[in-house]
Amino acid sequence: MFFRFCSAIVLVVLVALAGTALEKRVLDLRRRLSRQEYRMDVLRERHARLRLETQQLGAPARMLPPATAAKPGRRTDGAAAGASQQ
Amino acid sequence: MTAAGIAGSRPLRRAQLVLALTLVTWVVLAVRLVQLQYTGHERFAERAIRQSRLVARLPARPGDILDRHGRVLATTVTARSLYLVPSRIESPGVIASQLATVLELDPSRLVARLAAARSRQFLWCRRRLSEDEAKRVRGLGLPEGTWGFRDEFLRRYPQGRLAAAVVGLRDIDGRGRGGLEQLHDERLAGRDGNRVLVRDARGRVIAVAAATASRPRDGRDVSSTIDAVIQLHAERALDRLVENYKPRGAVAIVMAPDTGEVLAMASWPAGDPNLPGQIAAEAWRNRAICDSFEPGSTFKPLIVAFALQRGVIARDEVFDCENGVYRMGPRVLHDHHPYGELGLVDVLVKSSNIGMAKIGERLKNRGLYEAAVAFGFGRVTGLGLPGEINGRLRRLAEWNRWSTGSVPMGHELTVTPLQLICGYAVLANRGRSVTPRLVPAPTSVATSPSAPSTGQVVSAELAEWMLAVPLRQVVERGTGRRARLPGIAVFGKTGTAQKRDPRTGRYSRTSHVASFVCGAPVERPRVLVLVVVDEPAASGPQTGGRVAAPAAASILKQTLAQPTRGPLAER
Repeated sequence: MFFRFCSAIVLVVLVALAGTALEKRVLDLRRRLSRQEYRMDVLRERHARLRLETQQLGAPARMLPPATAAKPGRRTDGAAAGASQQ
Repeated sequence: MTAAGIAGSRPLRRAQLVLALTLVTWVVLAVRLVQLQYTGHERFAERAIRQSRLVARLPARPGDILDRHGRVLATTVTARSLYLVPSRIESPGVIASQLATVLELDPSRLVARLAAARSRQFLWCRRRLSEDEAKRVRGLGLPEGTWGFRDEFLRRYPQGRLAAAVVGLRDIDGRGRGGLEQLHDERLAGRDGNRVLVRDARGRVIAVAAATASRPRDGRDVSSTIDAVIQLHAERALDRLVENYKPRGAVAIVMAPDTGEVLAMASWPAGDPNLPGQIAAEAWRNRAICDSFEPGSTFKPLIVAFALQRGVIARDEVFDCENGVYRMGPRVLHDHHPYGELGLVDVLVKSSNIGMAKIGERLKNRGLYEAAVAFGFGRVTGLGLPGEINGRLRRLAEWNRWSTGSVPMGHELTVTPLQLICGYAVLANRGRSVTPRLVPAPTSVATSPSAPSTGQVVSAELAEWMLAVPLRQVVERGTGRRARLPGIAVFGKTGTAQKRDPRTGRYSRTSHVASFVCGAPVERPRVLVLVVVDEPAASGPQTGGRVAAPAAASILKQTLAQPTRGPLAER
């Protein structure tokens, strides 16, 4: 009788210990996951900032010097002068 | 009863009374419990959940807007926003003056806001601080628990004011306002997530209910048809034009006529969306779709093409231009240079109003109206950008005999710059109408129900002739000579429309809208360019050929010089 009682107690304790260990493991994994998500957010933010900076530095307005006005064709002042309907 | 009997019954009665009271109390409590459990259960459970749970919104990061080569036009970073806890602030004046020194705030206004929100736990002080500002606030050492930072998304536009009118912006609450930001708001915004936090009786967060959390779904990127380099050339051309002619406004549009893809859409004045507070009221409007004007002579080739298609005139026909004066009923029409007989091509090359009026007489009002409708005027183009207007095309019943002379020379109707370039896209697209687009076809939003369907307006052969002969000669020897480009066969048409004076109701002699539309190469047009200048203040003639043509040619030249990739590539 005593042996059975002790066995039951031990079994219950073992199950409880296993449950606790499992719970700790789950908490640990959840913590790691949370930390990874945080790191991911940080990296994503850093990526966004660096991308913004590279886009600003490589913007066409910075890379292409203002060209002088194109001079297409030759000037023909007389033809259009005075027309309000051209 | 004896005295002893009376004395013995009193404690018994008292005991019975206490018992009865106790019983009644228990019954009342039991009834109340039953009532709470069965009738008020849901209400109290809901209240308990509300007091202990807090749903925190997890905002989704908005997607980027890209140009056709992947350059970023709009992106998102995180910024700190400063909040205060008014209920915990003991001396609002001190905190306000401290914050005022680092954030350039009005301290008296902040004190007033704190006083008004004295019992509240949360008050925004300044949203989306710069890194420097956040650092300076931390350095103040404000009392703990009275303030804090929250991360919020901040929209940034790395190209500055480039294509600002097309891109639009996102407001402080993250909603798209204007341009692609508004048009594709749903796609860009993504879907916010949330996290349920468990609070104790004092409101402190003690746990995160992970099971009920939903992750935010970030917004998706939108690729536009805009080419940032072409857009830059267009805006620089407008800048030069503005410097020279000091107009009220100016627009430049570059389009691939075969696909309807808008490669650049520049509107002046413009502002930097990174500094929305500094944008002038006039600069918020995208003039390419929100302004309309009488097209003047740029309308003439479209009428000629339609009249040829209808067979009411012939390509080799000669028109008597009456030496510059033509009586049309009660009205006398004038050409600015007296012409005798002009062939059809010369009517366009010399932009004769009288020649066009005679073509109008052949088409009659109904034909002119049908021409305007066929080329897409009087309704939105289907681009989809918010704020696009229809232009003004009156109902045919409202037209009169003046219309027969006015409409062929581009008066009595107003068009948006986008409508006008779409009209020319018909000629450049072998006679087929085309719907303009700002996003490539697969990801394009549905066009509006009123958008024109693509259809054959004039025959392909006629459209090619229009480009190769009259419009080519306008540039070669006509009013568009300043748009000639060495080695490139350019076609085009100038327009100089008098503006109506709102005070007199008559056409002004001093205010004009100068425009020029051109394209190249003639044989197979790849690019169309339109430049419209509103009230150029030139010392000389304010004609489209003088004011707008050089700018349009400059943009055309730069566009053709771009590497032929993507939809622009030779197919």
